[in-house]
Amino acid sequence: MSEFLNLLAAGLTSGAIYGIFGACLAVWFRVCNVLNLAVGDFAMFGAIGTAWLVQTAGLPFIVGIVVVLVGVGLAAWLFDWVVLHPAFDRGAGAHGIVSVFFYTFGLSLVLEGVARAMFGTDVYGAPDIWSGPALHVLDFHVQRAGVLVIGLAIVSGLLLWAYLRFTVSGRAASACGESVLGSRIVGIDSAKFRRRIFIMTAVLAALFGIVESPITGYTYLSGPTISLIGVVAAGFASFRRPGRAVTAGLLIGVAEAMLGGYVSTSYNDVLLYAILFAVIIFRPEVLGLGAEPA
Amino acid sequence: MTEPAAANRGTISGPASSAQGASGQATESSAGPSPVHRTRRRDPVPLGAGLFIAVAGSLVLATMNGSYLGLTVTTGVAYAIVTVGMVLQLGYSRQLAFSQSVFMGVGAYGMGILETKYNFSSLESLLAVIAISVVAALLMGAVVTRAPGLALALATLLLPLFIYQLATYSSYLGSFSGIDGVPPFWTGSTYTQTLVQTGIVSVILLGLAAGIAARVMRSGIGLQLMAMAEDERLGESIGVSLRQRRLEVFVLGSVLAAVGGAVLASAQGIVTPDVLSETAEITLLLMVFVAGRKSIAGAILGAIVIEYLTTSTSFISTNIGIIEGVALLVILLVEPDGVAGAIDRLLGRRVDGWAAATRSWLTERLRSRGGGSVGSGAGV
Repeated sequence: MSEFLNLLAAGLTSGAIYGIFGACLAVWFRVCNVLNLAVGDFAMFGAIGTAWLVQTAGLPFIVGIVVVLVGVGLAAWLFDWVVLHPAFDRGAGAHGIVSVFFYTFGLSLVLEGVARAMFGTDVYGAPDIWSGPALHVLDFHVQRAGVLVIGLAIVSGLLLWAYLRFTVSGRAASACGESVLGSRIVGIDSAKFRRRIFIMTAVLAALFGIVESPITGYTYLSGPTISLIGVVAAGFASFRRPGRAVTAGLLIGVAEAMLGGYVSTSYNDVLLYAILFAVIIFRPEVLGLGAEPA
Repeated sequence: MTEPAAANRGTISGPASSAQGASGQATESSAGPSPVHRTRRRDPVPLGAGLFIAVAGSLVLATMNGSYLGLTVTTGVAYAIVTVGMVLQLGYSRQLAFSQSVFMGVGAYGMGILETKYNFSSLESLLAVIAISVVAALLMGAVVTRAPGLALALATLLLPLFIYQLATYSSYLGSFSGIDGVPPFWTGSTYTQTLVQTGIVSVILLGLAAGIAARVMRSGIGLQLMAMAEDERLGESIGVSLRQRRLEVFVLGSVLAAVGGAVLASAQGIVTPDVLSETAEITLLLMVFVAGRKSIAGAILGAIVIEYLTTSTSFISTNIGIIEGVALLVILLVEPDGVAGAIDRLLGRRVDGWAAATRSWLTERLRSRGGGSVGSGAGV
């Protein structure tokens, strides 16, 4: 029982990581039908930037967090202004399925390169927000950072779900993804929603990177892997449902931990990805992937 | 070798005529009251392009005489074989599959295992690798090409993740250190000679790959692929078998990726799991998109240039991420068909300008001559 609970705790922690990045991807895809493959790089910048500001530049932790989050928000705004605005509002550049992946893929490469130039190739971890020994409840052992990660993932997933489902602004944002032209006809500024949600998810990812980095540590190369896992979690939520992405991420994390604990510690990821692959191929309709994005 | 070239050729051998076979044999059409006999000549461009690449590449590598630059170019040639397949798959047919690094791994590990563990010769290993990759691509393609656009992309994104991990944990595949001591394609009496000869075999394979890809793109099948890429319903409405064409493109792209992997293993003498990783896939995507996803020539040059830049020890190799990212964004915004598309467009404009100037000059000449005769006639 103890082993099961500890595996569950580890699975929920890693699943929360997958889930939150999946949610960030899903909410923005819902608005503009583009996958944010730079979401992991924003998290990496949050984690490494804060660690560097606190440990090397000597700034207080809170100030470091604020500086990094503002910086990430500005970077996201700048990218929207320089790249996304001409591409999606003025009709410049590549469109279709290429635009779904490659604009943010380019951003990911740039962020990776900038991080390497600024921070080098070392492993960084931001200081613990909630420091202290691991928590013990019955046979359940979990790190404090893990509790924060799971809590932040659940709260973020719920807030995003509620925003899209119950607010006028959320419904307007969803309308942009359904039809840009239709939303413009009824007076919705699709560019504004795309920009705001892009900035919001970038800041959220950076915050999550800060909270999570004491557990895993980050290098300048951590971003793409995180983004890929986020894409998988978002894929299991039809790329459009952030709440479901968090749930999918948690389930993937738990499945990964259980496979590692009870089947094979070496091949747990292999088995997990093989199962996910089979689901995508044989039951795409379950994931809502039966049709092209609108 | 770009899309317009195929479109122009389409006036001769469009999809309708390709139904009779795009084999280049004489065909007979009986449309209209009097039968029209039309002899279709064999398209010289694919063969010419393939020969040019093989000959010019061999000369360049011979000139480099086994230097480090020569080894880098040979490695670039290995990637170029893969990117030629990607032009057909991603650029031309817009089949968003990210499985090329996996098939590169099949080719590289296939060569490594067959040559080091089973003492196959290089030629036998290469042929076996091609056969294995055809079967693997057919089996995998039959499954993955059923998936619609985003599902195909997502499924094939997962492939490098778990195949990479499989390779790192497998002692048979050498775990993290991979398989060392893969013999070169063509061993010479000296190290330098071996490098040159292996490079020459590599560019011959590249010429073959480019010739095959160009042949497909310039045929009726190429036009069917283009129609499918534009609009699948349009393709279906003109009788294109979407499933079959998707599978064929997937198999061809995958086999070329495996051949590229085999060349890479032979050139470097070692196979590591890195060849299977998502980083390798990202590098391949950059090579195709920055240079020109619809141009075979662009993809070849892109692969070699980017390989050179990533391995050079200058400022560029340190900041390659920023440079590649900015280049990709600029290209996507300004010229989605990549550097090759931009050059094509510029040259097209220039040629159009020359043609317009020639036309106006000829018109002027004719007018002045005609005007003179009219004038003299009026005088009479």
